[in-house]
Order: sequence, then C-alpha cells, then structure tokens
Amino acid sequence: MSESEDSKWGIAHVYASFNNTIITITDQTGAETLAKSSGGTVVKQNRDEASPYAAMQMAEVVAEKAKAQNIEGVHVNVRGPGGNQQKSPGPGAQATIRALARAGLEIGRIEDVTPIPHDGTRGPKNAGF
Amino acid sequence: MQHVKIPQDRIGVLIGEGGETMREIEDRAEVRLDIDSESGSVGVESVGDPITGLKGPDIVKAIGRGFNPEDALALLDDEMMMFDVVDIDAASRNQNDFTRQKGRLIGEGGRTRELMAELTGASVVIYGSTLGIIGGPEQVDAVREAAEMLLDGAPHGSVYSFLERKHNEMKQKGLNYHQFHG
Repeated sequence: MSESEDSKWGIAHVYASFNNTIITITDQTGAETLAKSSGGTVVKQNRDEASPYAAMQMAEVVAEKAKAQNIEGVHVNVRGPGGNQQKSPGPGAQATIRALARAGLEIGRIEDVTPIPHDGTRGPKNAGF
Repeated sequence: MQHVKIPQDRIGVLIGEGGETMREIEDRAEVRLDIDSESGSVGVESVGDPITGLKGPDIVKAIGRGFNPEDALALLDDEMMMFDVVDIDAASRNQNDFTRQKGRLIGEGGRTRELMAELTGASVVIYGSTLGIIGGPEQVDAVREAAEMLLDGAPHGSVYSFLERKHNEMKQKGLNYHQFHG
C-alpha cells in the first residue's frame, strides 16, 4: 500500500450455502459494492460452486479488485442460509477467509451474521443429515 | 466468543490429564477455552490470529463427537482440513431403525467404518447418534456420500466399490504432469 492515507477498510460479505458461495466486498457503509463474485464465475459444474477451491479462486479475484480500489483490509461477515435452513456456513466460508488473508488483505473482525429465527415457520421436512 | 456443547463423557478427554489436551488446543489454535464441566458447555474465544482461531470451535466439536485429540488437532495441520458431521438420528425413522442404520455404517467388526477411513484417507468416528469426518474436502465429500448411500439403503458392496473408485480417482489426482525443463 503506497498511499496509506488513501487506503480504507471494507467489509467482505460471504454467503456460503451448500450449493454456492457468494462474496461481495463493500465499503464500510455496506451500501457501495466494490467487488463481487460467486461460484459460477470460476467453475464449470454446478455442484462445484460451493467447493472450497472455487471459493479460494473467487477470493483471489475479489481481493485483487478490492486492492486496486485502495482497500487494505476487510472485516468479514459470514452467513449461512439461516432462517429455518442450516445455521452453519457452508464449506466455502473458511476457505474464503483464508484466501483473502493470503491474497494480502488484512482481516479485521469476523462475524457470523446468519439470520437466526426467533421462532418462525416450520422447517423443511428433509433438513438433510 | 462461541459456545459449543459437548457430552458429559467427552469433557474429560477435552481437558486431558492435568489439563494437557486443553492447553495444547489453546496453544495451537490460539483460543481460550472456558469449560463448564457441569453443563458440558465450552466457550471458545479467539485470542491470537483470528484465522487460526476459526478452527477452535471445530476442534472442540470434533472431540465432543468422539474423535481423539490427536485426530481433532489434525484440523490445524493444513488449512483445507474440514470437519463434518452426519446425523444418523435424522436419517432414521425410530429407535430400531436407528440401531440398524448405525450398525450398517459401522459394519461387521467395524469393517465398513474402517474401509471408509482407509480408502479415502479421512478419519471417521461413529459416536452416539453421529458420524464425524475429518479430512480434506474431497475425502470428506467421499465419506459423506458413502454414508448417505448406506443410510438410503444401498448394499454394502456397491458402497465399497464407490469408495474404491474414489480412492483410485484421488490417487490419480496426486500425479500432476508438468513440463520438464532441462
């Protein structure tokens, strides 16, 4: 980071479900998207979209774009599907955070923002094993 | 700070002799463990590098799901190591079916479980109503798929051949061809 007075922090929103991983890097307000990527941009097969490898590649691309816009570090908000579905983030979440760190972005706070129901509708019948 | 609940009889394992295991986890995963031995609730708080600390709750959960501490600490060996749990209880209709499904996963004399572990290279533990898996992403996927096949009622033979096929695929993956420079 050459101009340190210009470099800012952003927020990396990571939505990791069992079928896909979506990464969006925004500024600190969360309103301005700086870079985004999802599984389909790096893999051919649908079932690979949620894989940790795909997540790593996406994170690299996104980190490059963010750094080009003077982002030096990110706070991370991870979430799984939530609601009445799985509460835990999918396999892409951890891989993403590591890959972002390796790509040279500083990692600030990591927060789990999975929506937790305060009792809502009945869950799906086959919640999986 | 994250809370993980583990069964009463695994608390001793988590703490270890004179707190040995607990301290090793705290050192290697850079977390602080706050163990309530009455209720079985464990608070995991990251104190060092937040990225290393991410694995902390998984390690405690793995020990709670019957893994021995060495296997659970293997989660820290490599950043791609994953921990996954298959809930046998959710896949069975009643108590009798649960016992039968669990038996099918374990196999005669533990043969099925052993094959799942050996052919994929993951470590597999069946404890209580869960089947826990620790390994790399493809290894975990393979074991999970095999376990789901068995829970869906597939014959053991076809599951073994599935595992055998995965084993060969994974072996081939290790052979990467690259250009020879002088």
